[in-house]
Amino acid sequence: MHDQARQHADESALAALVDEYASMLYRVAYSVLRNAADAEDAVQEAFLRVLRHRATLHEVRDQRVWLIRIVWNIVLDRKRRARTRPETDDIAELGRVLPAHGLNAEERAAAAQHHAGVLAQVEMLPAKEREVLVLSAFEELTSVEIAEVLDITESSVRSRLFRARNLMADLLQHPRSLR
Amino acid sequence: MKSPAQDGLPTGHPGVADAEAALRCIAGLPAPAGLEVRIKSTLEAAPHAGKVLSWPAAAFSSGWVARPLLRGAAAAAIVLVVVGGGWGIFRKAQPARTPSAVLMPPRLAAPGGFSSAGAMRTPQTLIAPRVSQPVAASVKPLVAPKSLPRAKKAVSRQKIQNSEYARPKD
Repeated sequence: MHDQARQHADESALAALVDEYASMLYRVAYSVLRNAADAEDAVQEAFLRVLRHRATLHEVRDQRVWLIRIVWNIVLDRKRRARTRPETDDIAELGRVLPAHGLNAEERAAAAQHHAGVLAQVEMLPAKEREVLVLSAFEELTSVEIAEVLDITESSVRSRLFRARNLMADLLQHPRSLR
Repeated sequence: MKSPAQDGLPTGHPGVADAEAALRCIAGLPAPAGLEVRIKSTLEAAPHAGKVLSWPAAAFSSGWVARPLLRGAAAAAIVLVVVGGGWGIFRKAQPARTPSAVLMPPRLAAPGGFSSAGAMRTPQTLIAPRVSQPVAASVKPLVAPKSLPRAKKAVSRQKIQNSEYARPKD
């Protein structure tokens, strides 16, 4: 009886986490994988891991950052195992998911192409700088929280972000081909 | 995180700010509709992990399974059976003890063609006296001196060594 009550409480807590953070976790996963189906799979896997460790849920101090860290590790692992994603896939995907905002089809295609080009240049950055740059795009995350997700210090986050921007500027001034 | 203009870090090339704006746009893309519902249904369908032994639900309502003390005793009994079985296997798998006696290799037969009949091969360290002819009556048999002083004993020993009885004849 006691076990059943505790199990019910854990399931309710988990459902509340899904309602509150699933959307943000999806955006984090999508920013790395850039595929809607893969991003949703990553979020589901993250919550399945939380389900396996639901007994220790109450011990987590910051559940939002904890969940982001879980999904971040999942997407990095998937990306490492996957082949290099061609830019055309990004253009097609972004063209599908970018909001219209009063843009016509041609303008949306141009925006998708522009964003895909940015992503291709971001991919050329070293992994450490690239990860900080991608996470810094999330308004909800402070530098302290980014440091916690990446398991580094806050000063490392700032120095890597500074280096990422310098490298991006160099790439924009001297464009290089991917191959 | 804040935009480049707000976090105090220099942006450098103007294209960098544009690139980061594109990243923020991607980061702000909405999640697909029904995402939470699909995730919850996946979680409900997933097996609930936690215990090594999943006791049948009916046993919890009544019976000895419901008593934690008896469950602990049953778990201890299982552990004892496993440990005892492992100990038995360990004892059987022990390497054979070294024998108290070492089996010596068979003795080699002495050269010459005759069977040794199990006798030890005697190394050729001693040269036995050879008798080529019967001993003549004129030759006095050598008698060991009984009680000679030391110097005389050494001399007599030398005489014995140098006599025809000691030296081999070709």
